[in-house]
Amino acid sequence: MNLIWASILIPVATAAVIAVANARAARGLAAVGSLASLGALAAFAWQFPAWSTGGVSPEPGGCAWIASINATLGIGFDSVSLLLALLEALLIPICVIGSWSAITDRQREYYGWFMLLHASILLAFAARDVLLFYVGYEFTLVPLLFIIAIWGGPERRQAAHKLFLYTFLGSLFFLGSILFVGWQHHASTGLWSWDMGTLSSFASTRLPANTQYWLFAALLAGFAVKVPLFPVHTWLPLAHNQAPTAGSVILAGTLLKLGTYGIFRLALPMAPEGGAALAVFAAVLCTVAVIYAALICWVQTDAKKLVAYSSVSHLGICMLGLFALNPIGAQGSVLYMINHGLSTGALFLLIGMAYERYHVKDMDQIGGLAKRMPVWAFFMVFFTMSSIGLPGLNGFVGEYLCLFGTYIATGDASTKYPGLLGPGFALVAGTGLILGAMYMLLLVGRYVFGPLREPKADSHGKHGHDGSHGHDAHGADHGDHDGHGDLTGREVGLLVPLALVCLFIGIYPKPILQAIGPVVERTLAPYPAAVERALMSKPQATEAVQAQAKEDDRG
Amino acid sequence: MIAAPAMLSSVLALAEGPLDAHAAPELRWAGLALLLPLASSVLCLLCGWLKVRSKLPAALTIAALGGAFATILRLQGTVGETPVVVNLFDWIDLTWGDGSRFHGFTANVDLYIDRLTVFWMLFVTGLGTLIALYASEYMESDVGKGYTRFFGAVSIFLFAMGCLVMGGNLVMLYLGWEGVGLASYLLIGYYFTKPEAVAAAKKAFIVNRIGDLGLALALFLIWQCYGTVEYAALWKAIEAAPASSEWTAQAIPWLLMLGAFGKSAQLPLYVWLPDAMEGPTPVSALIHAATMVTAGVYLIARMFPLFVVNPDALAAVAWVGGLTALLAATIGMAQYDMKRIWAYSTISQLGYMFLGLGVGTTFGASYHVFTHAFFKALLFLTAGAVMHGFAGQLDIRKLSGLLKVPGFRLVSVLAVLGCFWLAAFPFTAAFFSKDEILVSAFTAKDDRVHLLGWIGLLVAALTAYYTFRVCFRVFFGPVKFEPGHELHGHDDHDHAHDAHAHHGEFHPHGPRWAIRVPLVLIAIGAILAGWPSYRTMLHHDESNWVKTQVAQSSAFQGVAAESHGSLDGHAASSHASAHTEDAHADHGHLVLGMDAHTAVGRLGSLACIVGILVSLYVHLINRGTADALRRTLMGTVATRWIVVGAERKWMVDEFYDWVIRLPLRVIANILSAIDELLLDAGIVNGIGALPAAVGRVFRPLYGGVVQGYAVTMAGGVALVAAWVIWIWLRGAN
Repeated sequence: MNLIWASILIPVATAAVIAVANARAARGLAAVGSLASLGALAAFAWQFPAWSTGGVSPEPGGCAWIASINATLGIGFDSVSLLLALLEALLIPICVIGSWSAITDRQREYYGWFMLLHASILLAFAARDVLLFYVGYEFTLVPLLFIIAIWGGPERRQAAHKLFLYTFLGSLFFLGSILFVGWQHHASTGLWSWDMGTLSSFASTRLPANTQYWLFAALLAGFAVKVPLFPVHTWLPLAHNQAPTAGSVILAGTLLKLGTYGIFRLALPMAPEGGAALAVFAAVLCTVAVIYAALICWVQTDAKKLVAYSSVSHLGICMLGLFALNPIGAQGSVLYMINHGLSTGALFLLIGMAYERYHVKDMDQIGGLAKRMPVWAFFMVFFTMSSIGLPGLNGFVGEYLCLFGTYIATGDASTKYPGLLGPGFALVAGTGLILGAMYMLLLVGRYVFGPLREPKADSHGKHGHDGSHGHDAHGADHGDHDGHGDLTGREVGLLVPLALVCLFIGIYPKPILQAIGPVVERTLAPYPAAVERALMSKPQATEAVQAQAKEDDRG
Repeated sequence: MIAAPAMLSSVLALAEGPLDAHAAPELRWAGLALLLPLASSVLCLLCGWLKVRSKLPAALTIAALGGAFATILRLQGTVGETPVVVNLFDWIDLTWGDGSRFHGFTANVDLYIDRLTVFWMLFVTGLGTLIALYASEYMESDVGKGYTRFFGAVSIFLFAMGCLVMGGNLVMLYLGWEGVGLASYLLIGYYFTKPEAVAAAKKAFIVNRIGDLGLALALFLIWQCYGTVEYAALWKAIEAAPASSEWTAQAIPWLLMLGAFGKSAQLPLYVWLPDAMEGPTPVSALIHAATMVTAGVYLIARMFPLFVVNPDALAAVAWVGGLTALLAATIGMAQYDMKRIWAYSTISQLGYMFLGLGVGTTFGASYHVFTHAFFKALLFLTAGAVMHGFAGQLDIRKLSGLLKVPGFRLVSVLAVLGCFWLAAFPFTAAFFSKDEILVSAFTAKDDRVHLLGWIGLLVAALTAYYTFRVCFRVFFGPVKFEPGHELHGHDDHDHAHDAHAHHGEFHPHGPRWAIRVPLVLIAIGAILAGWPSYRTMLHHDESNWVKTQVAQSSAFQGVAAESHGSLDGHAASSHASAHTEDAHADHGHLVLGMDAHTAVGRLGSLACIVGILVSLYVHLINRGTADALRRTLMGTVATRWIVVGAERKWMVDEFYDWVIRLPLRVIANILSAIDELLLDAGIVNGIGALPAAVGRVFRPLYGGVVQGYAVTMAGGVALVAAWVIWIWLRGAN
């Protein structure tokens, strides 16, 4: 537990030190702080006892926070939240070090906010107390707002505005729901409790089905904005596009995962009846998102916006796996959360690296960069393949299991987990595989490959360059070092860990899947029964309606 | 339909069949066949990192592929009739509940080694090694540039192909399936500054993805029906419940078919293969002619137990194969680019293989894969040598009489040899393999496929014609040539268009040993590929080596009746030949009053010779005739479409463009506009404007963005609190 607090408080302390330290030291301090936080969390993960049990460690309970309503500072991880926290802790040093060259003004503030963002995300993943989770979840907005609004692109104000408005409105549903559950718990037992486990078991067993329905709806509405699900996704492309690179990386990497994690951690366990009743509705939204966003990606000319929209499409598949309500889909979904963080985060990082060199992201103006930056191109292709789910890389395992889970989520109970989706959903969402390849290869084909096109007006670092490329058949290949050079050692150093993790998950996902498995089974435990009821109620409901209609006819 | 009961009974005979696999940890070394290419791809990456400017990557790749070939050769000696499963390590292994059937999903990195596996890997790794050797010289103008990338991708390809063929479950196959797609993407797009190459690479990947989706869905279905995707367990499950009438079981072969048609370039997904010729020629030879495109055939042969219970699916495979063969042959007749003609001939020959599978002869299909691999590699590699020597010239109208050009004699002789094989000239290897397929088409129990035998014969004539069209135009006749545009090998520059104007006299340079040796070896292979049939013919020995290989695998039900006798032994020849008589008597199919074997042999030879003779006249003896004929056909409106259609590939690409891509593009643009304008600007900003309007009243508070949010946040919390209190009040009542 001390290590968890250490990983959360080290960034806070770093932020405090940065606030008073020399501006030039800020970036170094931030790097050290984030690496120390990663170290603390890694040390915790090393001796984490619950990898294979599905339990929470340390045990629930914690010192009092708001004593009058028994809110605690209860923190602890199970393997799913720990994996997501590890992803966060891995991405933050990469973001910080990746910002060294991109962020030149107001560095102290920048790195300070980044440290606070890190602390709040970790807090959200670690929290076992729903109010504490809310605090972490909600506080992420403040640093993110500053990061986008100060260091963002030309439309940063609008982006920050929209981001805030959207996610804040979503959070209201979420806050309202958990307050309602806590209050119900108090009304029923006379005790206040905000512990996730207690509230989940209370809500899932004691609340009537109708209440669970609305509870799930409210939680889904709250988290859907963060995920983001169609049609409340429109804040995301703008936010991504305007955010500085590191902001986009962390936004795609872990901030969106707070939404999926919220659904997994709170909505599904608290309201199984609601989950079963609304699974099809949610799955339809996911499926629409997969195709809708993929088609939009396909006609984007802005590289960053393309990747931003691809998040909407990808998370559609991720959520679809979750709503399959069987272990295969849910395990795939959790793995997908991690995978998406890795590969999309890396793609944003790469686009940011090219942007630092050219200050252009529009593929109508820039393209064929492989000629200038072969190493960059290598990583670009690598992470594209990871993103479109090439077997052997991480994306495949998650995507495949999500679709597989969706496919077998039929009413058939031979798998022990009957579901409500089935082949139709898998088929439609499966076209996402094709569309995904279409837009990502469009990106690669224009941005990375093809004839070299560089922005003409750009005068950055063009020393002795006459602007005519490729006339010399032999010389052109070697690239002239004119300031648009290939990736530096620092940049390669940022990408290599991500690539290795992608490769590892792709080749040997077994330990991760084994860690996720028990947690998933625990979360889904009430679902077979709830789904059975949902399946039963459907024909009955229709019969009832028909009977009613007949009576009306007679009347 | 009639065939179903008979086939069912043969499925039920699986129990004592050769499919009862056992684990063989002692064969772990077989994993070297995958590991070596993987290692060489990593080493190539390292070479790229260290900016190696030598032929080291080629040496590494050749060594690794040679090692893989040696491993397979050794495996060929080791593997018996019983398939073995070798677990390398666990990959995906999920269980829940009690972990019994349907409560788990396992797809580990296993090898499933039976005779079919080894047979396929033999020519994949063997040809791979030789073509890598060829490429080490062919690509030498790129040393220090793309050389490393090229050989890295070739290594990835061989690794992926190994996973595809040797993998012990369908997910491993899928890994290889997509892996070869990646390698193909990287290699087609090798000249990545050329827009056509990039477009072709993208097209190949995406069209393949369509097939891959079918494969992925088929996997789900197989699990749903049989509770496993591991071959060994799957055969057992099929044996227990051979044919379910559920739509799920019925749909499996159709979805697998889609995957196979994507990878093996059949209708309607063949359009990527001709464009794939944008890649360097060794790639075309290795991937897009000899090995990767046969993956679809392998898939169906491997999964034959699932096909055999569904005669409709088999008939569909046969018809798709037959029609693809015909369509591609007609296009091939009207093209002028040598590589492109060979590309269409590949599609056409693959069509034969699917025709064979569809009429139930996995042996014929596999044998044709085998013979085709050699002669097609030979044809592409000789085309590459010509292209290499004549600065990228491939237009058959601009090359003539190469047999007499110094330095090109060997290449020309080998190319002409290859042409004989492709045309299935009597007593060449391809003649026998094609014969096997056509006989099965005529004698198939399913009446719906008999017509395909005649189509197959027609295609044989067309094939002979277009093959020798190239042969007579390019290698015979008076010496005449125009160099192409790529004077400096295959640079990816685009400014050399008028370069040859400066070089008044052009001297074609002939290939050196690293190109000649593989060419000769492959030609020898092409000749030897016919060996099993020669043995059969001379010694009346039915124990055809290929037949044994296929028979002792999951594809054995597609091996014609006579070889069932030799299932249990190596060469129970007398027994088997006695069987043959029975088998033919059983078929009772007469073609033109003759026994099917005799008839097909004679008709096939006739078709081939007629094709060659026509070609001989219009393309060698009187070269003007072809142009005159074209002009005549173009002159009349009624016949104009034939020429235009065939030359423009029947507009299939354009059709797809207009019917699929364009509408999708329009929809995508509309959606994009909706997303940005309506959803965003209208609804969201509309709501967003509300607080701003309110904020205007409290301007001082809303001055800075963040203060504004702080206020909104506080207000929001107050609102929620009010809401909760309201619920509470209502609940209290």
